[in-house]
Amino acid sequence: MVNATKGLFISCDIPMAQFIFKLNASLPDSQKFIICELDSTHLFVQPHASEMIRSAIAEFRDQNTYEKPP
Amino acid sequence: MGFHGEKNRPAKKHKSSKDHHYMVHDEDSYYPEELEDNNRDGEKEGKKTDFTNLELKPDHANRPLWACADGRIFLETFSSLYKQAYDFLIAIAEPVCRPESMHEYNLTPHSLYAAVSVGLDTETIITVLNKLSKTKLPKEMIDFIHASTANYGKVKLVLKKNRYFIESPFPEVLKTLLKDEVVGKARISSENANGTDGFTISKALGEMRSGHDELLTEAELATAAEEKETHSFEIDPSQVENVKQRCLPNALNYPMLEEYDFRNDTVNPDLDVELKPHARPRPYQEKSLTKMFGNGRARSGIIVLPCGAGKSLVGVSAACRIRKSCLCLATNAVSVDQWAFQFKLWSTIKDEQICRFTSDSKERFRGNAGVVVTTYNMVAFGGKRSEESEKIIEEIRNREWGLLLMDEVHVVPAHMFRKVISLTKSHCKLGLTATLVREDERITDLNFLIGPKLYEANWLDLVKGGFIANVQCAEVWCPMTKEFFAEYLKKDNAKRKQALYVMNPNKFRACEFLIRFHEQQRGDKIIVFADNLFALTEYAMKLRKPMIYGATSHVERTKILEAFKTSRDVNTIFLSKVGDNSIDIPEANVIIQISSHAGSRRQEAQRLGRILRAKGRLEDRMAGGKEEYNAFFYSLVSTDTQEMYYSTKRQQFLIDQGYSFKVITSLPPADSGPELSYYRLEDQLALLKKVLTAGDDLVGLEQLEEDADDIALVKGRRSMGSMSAMSGASGMVYMEYNTGQKKQGHGLMKGKPKDPSKRHHLFKRRYG
Repeated sequence: MVNATKGLFISCDIPMAQFIFKLNASLPDSQKFIICELDSTHLFVQPHASEMIRSAIAEFRDQNTYEKPP
Repeated sequence: MGFHGEKNRPAKKHKSSKDHHYMVHDEDSYYPEELEDNNRDGEKEGKKTDFTNLELKPDHANRPLWACADGRIFLETFSSLYKQAYDFLIAIAEPVCRPESMHEYNLTPHSLYAAVSVGLDTETIITVLNKLSKTKLPKEMIDFIHASTANYGKVKLVLKKNRYFIESPFPEVLKTLLKDEVVGKARISSENANGTDGFTISKALGEMRSGHDELLTEAELATAAEEKETHSFEIDPSQVENVKQRCLPNALNYPMLEEYDFRNDTVNPDLDVELKPHARPRPYQEKSLTKMFGNGRARSGIIVLPCGAGKSLVGVSAACRIRKSCLCLATNAVSVDQWAFQFKLWSTIKDEQICRFTSDSKERFRGNAGVVVTTYNMVAFGGKRSEESEKIIEEIRNREWGLLLMDEVHVVPAHMFRKVISLTKSHCKLGLTATLVREDERITDLNFLIGPKLYEANWLDLVKGGFIANVQCAEVWCPMTKEFFAEYLKKDNAKRKQALYVMNPNKFRACEFLIRFHEQQRGDKIIVFADNLFALTEYAMKLRKPMIYGATSHVERTKILEAFKTSRDVNTIFLSKVGDNSIDIPEANVIIQISSHAGSRRQEAQRLGRILRAKGRLEDRMAGGKEEYNAFFYSLVSTDTQEMYYSTKRQQFLIDQGYSFKVITSLPPADSGPELSYYRLEDQLALLKKVLTAGDDLVGLEQLEEDADDIALVKGRRSMGSMSAMSGASGMVYMEYNTGQKKQGHGLMKGKPKDPSKRHHLFKRRYG
């Protein structure tokens, strides 16, 4: 029988995929959101995780960005 | 599998990193940016950006600058009056940012102090400024100039016969000064000081002033007439620094000028040297010297020229004009040799008149005047010395120096270096530097330690004139590999983060590619910089290139540098941060930076300076010449890591000088295969294992003796500022200054635990 799961397909670069894996791993089992790791640049995740992933990545990127103080 | 996937990355990378902005240097974008910045600060700031009430003069098109009420001045570099306006502005204001078409300057009390000390008076400043400005000068600015310059130039600090005097033609000014506690305490009462000279009358006058005209007639025969009305009192030599500080604009506001009337100094013996005929100072070198010797006397101060623009010639010329004994201070033994060489190259100084004083060579000059070249460390060293060096030091202390020449003066404010200034007595101090920035913001200390900034050259003008190399700056973005990034993200690898992003195999390959390209295709000479010792050794061993770091002996250093200069086979050397300052490697024209010291803007500029010395024929170098760029500066950065943050921060100083960084995302090129190292995954994993198993002491940063300045401070912060401790990017900036104060003494502490990376390798295991 065919099983269909609704989800979100993420395509990103290698380091960001690693970042998402790590984010996933840091959560308790009940909140894990990765459904399937397709390859090193593609993931299939729960649809509700999108916002959380975005904000986590945004925060991570901010930390690595220098802004000239006014 | 990793590799083919990565090849596709650059394009994506580009898209995803719009947030990573670089300052765009054209006029159009300038004002909007200003507006945005200021609006953020609230309504009060908003007023500053409203220029509607500025009145344009009818012939504004012919005038080069805009003057704003808040002290900012904008200069159009395409104006026909640019050159004259620039010379004037650099004398009265502090350059903030100097891109190609529009410069920003700021009027500050310090910059006006500098202006007065090079002989400009209040009225001249206002008149000229008004003449150049497109708009009527705002009243606030005129008031500011009046307020800041009213007291300047009234007090002078003079060194006579090894004693310090504060001189002024206005006795009431001296009275005001003496009311201050610090100055009052520092005063040596005239009874002790002048008793033997028979100044009983002045002593009887009591208090503070002693009519000093008799002493003046003795010492300064020629100028006696005009100096007749000068009043003065003596101060304690050990308090000179404090007194000078008290007199600065932020305290008593009577900044002292230090001038040395060397032509009429008959007490100190003359040194018979002249510039050789072949030494022809360039226009800007001439200009900086004019500022120093403007009124026939020598002024103390700082001259800022980019590395490679010929600071040594300025120093040697200054010494040749003063023609008295000269003490020249450099940062390390190698540059001591270089200074001694420069003196012999440019001047007619005889071998026995110049001597080097370092731990390896303790020479002494014969005769009663000469040049001593030594390091800051040698003079400031507090511990026990050998009998021989003790004698030399004693001589240095007791002598009255005509000129104290200080190289790389941006390192001076650290405590150890201040000691040097208080220990040595000199009539005139000249500081030379390329980068007047420090991460600990203590650069203003230089104002009272040495003197005001006399001259600062504009980098881009020198590039256009062909005096320094035209450098292509590039930031090479190297994506992290999957395995390295996974380790990088792990919390327990916090200490190894740096090692991980520096050893990123993609970075290694990019570095190897660049070395090959420049060695083989262009025949360039390359310097690779790495602050991280572990990375330095790994890279150098793998690529089989010579390297120099802190523990490399002086002999070996000289040997490697010599080979790099002369041999056709040695085209690349690896340097740790020992190579940042003053090692003169004129041959190199490519720099690859694989790891750097956090966000130090100064280090970035100093490193760039290693390749700024112009090479090749002048006509090729001039604007419109054959080669567009003749030097290359690559900074390799692992993307998505802390390094991106530091990298952008480091570039700020150069950006302010008008440089722009090009981002390269496709190195090594997609078609490169196993000819570069770490192609195969197994090799990469082996490297990763090596990084992870290396001892903590190995992956850390190199610690140098000379680090007792801000570089060390930032390092202290570095470990604290690890990713987890960071709350956000803006918070970092604060932390830097806050902890900087606390850590200040850190590098100087005596008996601090030995740096593990310097331990003998046999012991490392035991303690490490």
